[in-house]
Amino acid sequence: MSNATVMIVDDALFMRTILGTILKDKGYTVVVEAASGIETMKKLHDCNPDIIFLDIILPDANGIELLDSIFKIKPQAKVILCSAIGQESIIKKGLDLGARYYVQKPFSPEKIAEALESLGE
Amino acid sequence: MDMSQYRDLFVSESKGHIQVFNELIVRLEDNAPDTAAVDELFRHAHSLKGMAATMQYQAVADLAHRMEDLLSRVRSKEIDFVASLADLLLEGSDTLAAMVSAIEADDDRLPDSTGLVDRLAGFRAAGSPPPQQPAGGFDAEPGAGVRDQGAMVPDHQTLHPDSFKSVRVKIETLDRLVNITGELITTRYRLADRALHCEGAQLDEPLNRLSTLLRELRDEVFQARMLPFSFVADRFPRLVRDLSRKQGKEILFQVEGKAIELDRGILEEISEPLVHILRNAVDHGMETPEQRIAAGKPGLGTIRIVVTRDKDYVNIVVADDGRGMDPGRLADKAVEKGMLSREQANALTRHEAFMLVCAPGFSTAETVSVISGRGVGMDAARVAVQALGGVLAIESDTGRGSRFLLRLPISVSIIHALLVECGPLTIGFPVNAIKRTTELRNGEIAGDGGDSFFSLDGRQVPLRSLSRLLGQPSAPDAGDLVPTVVIEAGGMMVGLAVDRLLGQREIFVKPLGIPLNRIKGLTGGAITGDGRIVYVMDAGALL
Repeated sequence: MSNATVMIVDDALFMRTILGTILKDKGYTVVVEAASGIETMKKLHDCNPDIIFLDIILPDANGIELLDSIFKIKPQAKVILCSAIGQESIIKKGLDLGARYYVQKPFSPEKIAEALESLGE
Repeated sequence: MDMSQYRDLFVSESKGHIQVFNELIVRLEDNAPDTAAVDELFRHAHSLKGMAATMQYQAVADLAHRMEDLLSRVRSKEIDFVASLADLLLEGSDTLAAMVSAIEADDDRLPDSTGLVDRLAGFRAAGSPPPQQPAGGFDAEPGAGVRDQGAMVPDHQTLHPDSFKSVRVKIETLDRLVNITGELITTRYRLADRALHCEGAQLDEPLNRLSTLLRELRDEVFQARMLPFSFVADRFPRLVRDLSRKQGKEILFQVEGKAIELDRGILEEISEPLVHILRNAVDHGMETPEQRIAAGKPGLGTIRIVVTRDKDYVNIVVADDGRGMDPGRLADKAVEKGMLSREQANALTRHEAFMLVCAPGFSTAETVSVISGRGVGMDAARVAVQALGGVLAIESDTGRGSRFLLRLPISVSIIHALLVECGPLTIGFPVNAIKRTTELRNGEIAGDGGDSFFSLDGRQVPLRSLSRLLGQPSAPDAGDLVPTVVIEAGGMMVGLAVDRLLGQREIFVKPLGIPLNRIKGLTGGAITGDGRIVYVMDAGALL
C-alpha cells in the first residue's frame, strides 16, 4: 500500500474510471482528475499530486508539450505518460522532457504496477 | 480484471464520440478545410480505439484504428478531405454505432466490418498517389502543443460526450414524481398524527429521519422541474417589437436574470400574465416618441424585466419609463363605474388605488373577452399569481413610469395556507393573499340594509359571510366573537366571516381536474395530516 496521491489526466471518463479503479485497488488516492490541458493546469495550481498519469492526446493539448508547463509549477511531480500511440520518437521526447515512464493503452493492473515500480513506489 | 462493470460507461461515452464524429464530418464537408476539426476527428477515433481495446472489443478497436489511420493521412496532407473520404468515414461511424448498439444489447454478434476495414486501409483519393507506407503505420503526432487561448476550445467541441450523462424525461413523469412526493409528505403528517397516540413507540427518531429524507427528495424532485426564465422570456422581445412597431412607438426592451430558474408549472402559469403586463406597458404605459420628447424625455422608451432570486422566492419586475398612472384618476374611474363610493375612493391608499387595475371589470376592454372560463387581463394576472402563492404589486410615478412586481415561490405545490372552517368544509387561503385576521365582537359589526360593515384602522370595511358565499349552511351561532379573515380584492379590503380559524399550515396543493377546476375561486385541493380535504381558494374571486 502506498500513501502517494495521484492525478489522472485523460479526456475519456471511461479511461479515468478504469485507471482510477486500478490505482485505488493498489492503495493510491486519486486526488484530482482532468480532461483537458487547460483543466490540468488550472487544477494543478490547487493541489499537489505526487504522481501524474498524463494522456498524450488531449482535446486542447499534446501531453508531451504540456510537460514543460507542468514541471514549471510542480517540479517534483512524477509523470507517467499514457497513450495508445506507441511511436518511439514521441515517447522518447516525453522521457527526455522529464516524464518517468510510458504506459501503452489499454491499461491493465500489471502495466500500472510496472509503471509504479519504476518510480520506486 | 472484470471489465463488464465498465460496459455501460463504454457504451455511453462511445455513443458521444460517434455522434460528435458524425457532426464534424458533415461540418467539414460543408466548410473550408479546417485542421482543428480534422485533429478532433482523429482524437475521437483514437479515444474510441483505446476504449474498445481496453474492453477487449477487438473488432471495434480495429475499425476505429483504421479510421484514425486514414485521418492521420489527412492531417499529414497526404490525402485531401474529399467527398468519397467523408462517405467512407461516415460508413465507418455508422458501423461503429451499430457495433456499440449490439454491445449495449448484449449481443455477441457484432456487425461484420472486415470489408470496410480493408476499404479504409486501401483508400486512395482520385488522382492522389498511393500511400507511401502500408496503412497502420502509426506516425501521428497529434495536436501541435497547447494552442493559444483563442483556439483552445473550438466551437465544434461544444457537444461534449458528457451530455450523454443526462436523459430526457417526460413532463408527466416529473408531475407524477411531484405528486408521489406530495403524497409521501402527507402520509408522513398522518404518521406523525398517529404517533401522538402511541406513546412509548419511539417513533420520534425515525419520523425525524423520514422528514429529512422527504425534504431532500422534495428538493431534488423540484430541482428536476426547474427551467430558466428565458424559457418564457425568449418570445417577449419579438412581442414588444411587433406591438411597438404597430403603434409607432420606439422601445428598448431588456431582460435581466434570464438564467434564473423557476418551476416549469409556475413559468407556464405566469407566461400569459407577463404577456398581458407587457402589452399594457406598450399599449397604455408607453408614449409615442413625440409625446415623450414633448414631456422632456428621450424619444426612445425603455421596458425592462428584471428577475432576481430571493431565497425561496423569485422577484420579477416589469418596469417601463412611460407615462405612469395617476392614483386619483384611477379612484375617480372606480367611482364612475360604480365600483366604489366616493367615500371609499377617497380612503384608498396609493397602493390600493393602483391595485384597482386588477379589479374585475375595471377596464372595459377586459371584461368582454373570456378565455377558457377564466377572465383575461390584470384581474386574471392577479388571480394567477395569487393561486401560485405569490404576490402582485404595482408601483407608479405619474409621468415617470410604472413597475409591476411579481413575487413568486420558486416551486409550486407546497404553499403556506391559512386554514379556516366553513360549515363542513375546510378552506385554505394562501397566506400571502391575506391582509390580517381578526375576531369581531357582534357589537363591532354595523348593519346597513343587507350589507354589514366593520371598522378597521378607522375605515369602513365590508363584511361577508364565507358560508353564504359558498352556499353552505351557516354555522350555529358560536357566541359573541366572529372570526374574520381580511383580504384585499380589487384594491379594497373585505372581511370574510368564517366559523373558525384553524391556523397556518404548509400544504401540498394538487391541481383539480374537470369539472372541479371550473368552479370559480377554487384553485386546488390538499389533504391534511388527519385526512381532511382542504379546498384552496382565491378569496378575491368569490366576491
